[in-house]
Amino acid sequence: MSAPAEKAKYWNPYLGGVLLGLLLFLSFFVTSHGLGASGGVHRIAVAIEDLVIPEHVDKTPYIARMAGGDRDPLAHWLVWEVAGIMLGGFVSGLLRGRVKLQTYRGPQITPRTRWAYAFIGGALMGYGARLARGCTSGQALSGGAVMSVGSWAFMFAVFAGGYGLAWFVRRLWQPES
Amino acid sequence: MAPFDLVALFGTTGSYLVYVAIGFAFGFILESSGFGDSRLLAAQFYFRELRVLKVMFTAITVAMILIFWSIALGWLDYDEIWVKPTYLWPGIAGGLIMGVGFILGGYCPGTSLVSVATLKLDGAFFLLGIIAGVTLFGETAGLISTFWNSGYLGIFTLPELLHLETGVVVLLVVCLALVMFAGFEWIRQKIYGKAQ
Amino acid sequence: MNAAYLPETLGAAVLLLASAALALYGQPDLDRKWEFLAPELEPRLSERSVYIDPAELLHLMNDDYIHLLIYDVRAESDWNEFHLVDAEHLAMEDLVRERERLRSLPENAVVVVVSNDEILATRAWKRLMAVAKPNAYILEGGLNLWLNIYGVPEEETDSHGRASMGKPDGTLRHSFKLALGERHAAAQPDEHLVPQREYTARVRLLKKLAKAGGCD
Repeated sequence: MSAPAEKAKYWNPYLGGVLLGLLLFLSFFVTSHGLGASGGVHRIAVAIEDLVIPEHVDKTPYIARMAGGDRDPLAHWLVWEVAGIMLGGFVSGLLRGRVKLQTYRGPQITPRTRWAYAFIGGALMGYGARLARGCTSGQALSGGAVMSVGSWAFMFAVFAGGYGLAWFVRRLWQPES
Repeated sequence: MAPFDLVALFGTTGSYLVYVAIGFAFGFILESSGFGDSRLLAAQFYFRELRVLKVMFTAITVAMILIFWSIALGWLDYDEIWVKPTYLWPGIAGGLIMGVGFILGGYCPGTSLVSVATLKLDGAFFLLGIIAGVTLFGETAGLISTFWNSGYLGIFTLPELLHLETGVVVLLVVCLALVMFAGFEWIRQKIYGKAQ
Repeated sequence: MNAAYLPETLGAAVLLLASAALALYGQPDLDRKWEFLAPELEPRLSERSVYIDPAELLHLMNDDYIHLLIYDVRAESDWNEFHLVDAEHLAMEDLVRERERLRSLPENAVVVVVSNDEILATRAWKRLMAVAKPNAYILEGGLNLWLNIYGVPEEETDSHGRASMGKPDGTLRHSFKLALGERHAAAQPDEHLVPQREYTARVRLLKKLAKAGGCD
C-alpha cells in the first residue's frame, strides 16, 4: 500500500482548503466562533472521569468548572461538533471504501511500534492542546482566521516542533533510503 | 447582523444539531482531503507531502477574506465574534509540544477523530493518548497555573501588533501563504525531484 | 508556467485581488459601523429603553453584584464642579480607546453614560455601541436631574437647588459654592437616607454571544 497510489483518490488540497475556509467562515457567521476538536475530546474524557470518581472531579479546579457539582460536561457545543466530525469522517470514508481496519505506518516500523508512538504522540498532543488553549483546529485555523497573535505564534511553534524533530524520527515515516 | 444566538433561534437541541452539521462537514472535508492518513500528515515534515500546509493556509486565508469582507459590508459584527485572547508563553510552549506530538503520532486531535471514524488503529491509539494527555493536564493544571496564565496580552490581533490596517494585514497574510506554497513546493522538488 | 498550474494560479490571483480590494475598501470606521447598527439600535433611543432613572443608577452604584462603569463625557470644568463618585472622565474622542477594555468586560458589567442633560451622553452612547457594543445605558435627565433629586441645597449657590428641565441645552444648571468634584454629598447619596423614587428598571444583564468559543 504505497502512499502515492492512495493519494490519487484524495481531493486536491487547495480544493479542500477552500471548502474548509468556507466552512470556517460559516461557523463564525452562524455561531460566532470557529471550529474546535480537542476541547470536545477533553469534555468526553472528563465526563467519563465524572462517572467513575465524581468527588475528585469536584475538587480539581481546572475540571470542576466543566463537570463539578451537577454541571454536565457534555452540554457544550464542542462535544456535538466532535460527534459530527466522526460522523462526517465515517461517511466520507464509507463512500470511498476507505473504512477498513488497518494501521497506517511508515514502511520501516511494525504496527506495534506505530501504536506506541501514536499513543505517546496523542498524549503530547492532548497535553499541549490544553496548555495552548486550543489545537490546530481551534487555535490555528480559527484563531488564525481572525488574526489573533497568539494563534499565529502557536501555529509557527507547531511547525517548528514538527520540523525540528522530523530528522531524528525519520525511521517512523520515511522509506529506507 | 450575524452572528446569531443559536439557542434563541433553534433551542438548545437545535443548536446542538447545527454543531453536529458543522462537525460533519468538517470531518467530511478532512477525510476527503486525506487527513485521516497519518502517513500523509507526517510527510509534511519531510517535505514529501504538502497538504497540511496547503489546506491549513488556504482555509485560513479564504476564511479571513470572507470574514473581513462581511464585516466591511455590515453583514457580520466584529464585536460579537470570538477572538481568542492571547496567552503568549503557554501558547508557544503548547505549540512546540504539539509539533512534537504531531511528528511522533502522525495526527492532531481533529484528524485523529476522522482516522478513528474510518477504523484506523493508529488513530485509535492516538485518541487514547489524547485522553491520557488531557487528563494529565487536568490533574496537574494547578501546578503550572502561573505559567499557564503568563504572557496574557488580551485580545491581541496582528493589525494591532503591526500597526497596520486590517485589510493590509489580510493582504500580507495572503502573500505570505502564496510565498510559502511556492517555497515549500520548490523545496520538495529539490529533495525528491519532479516525480509527483 | 505550464497549464497544469492554471487553476492554482487563478486561485492565487483571486485571493490576491480579494484581499487587495479589502485593503482598499477598508474596515468600517465608527460612523459606518453606526450605520450598520442603527436599524437595531435607534429604536432603543426613540423608545427610551436605554435611558435609566437616576434612582436606578443609584441602585446600581450600591449593587455589589454589578460591575459598574460610569463614563462622564462632559467638559472638564463641569467635571471639576461635580461628578459622581465612581465615574470616569472621558472625552468623546477617547471613547474609541476603551475598546479593549470593553471587549473584556465580565458578564455582570453595566456601562452608564452621563452628561449634564442627555445630549452629549446620547452621542457618546452611539459611539460606544459602534466601538464595542457593550451593555450600556444613558442617565435619564442627566446630572441636572440627578442633582434635582439628590442635590444638597447647602452645597449650591442657588438655595433652591433646582434646575429647570424644560429646555435642555447641555449646560450644568446647578452651581456649587466650591468645585469639589466627587466630594459633594450628592456624588454619593446614601440609598437609605434619600427619598425613595419609583422607576421602571431597564437594566438587564446581557449574555454576550461570543463569551467563549473554541477549544476551551
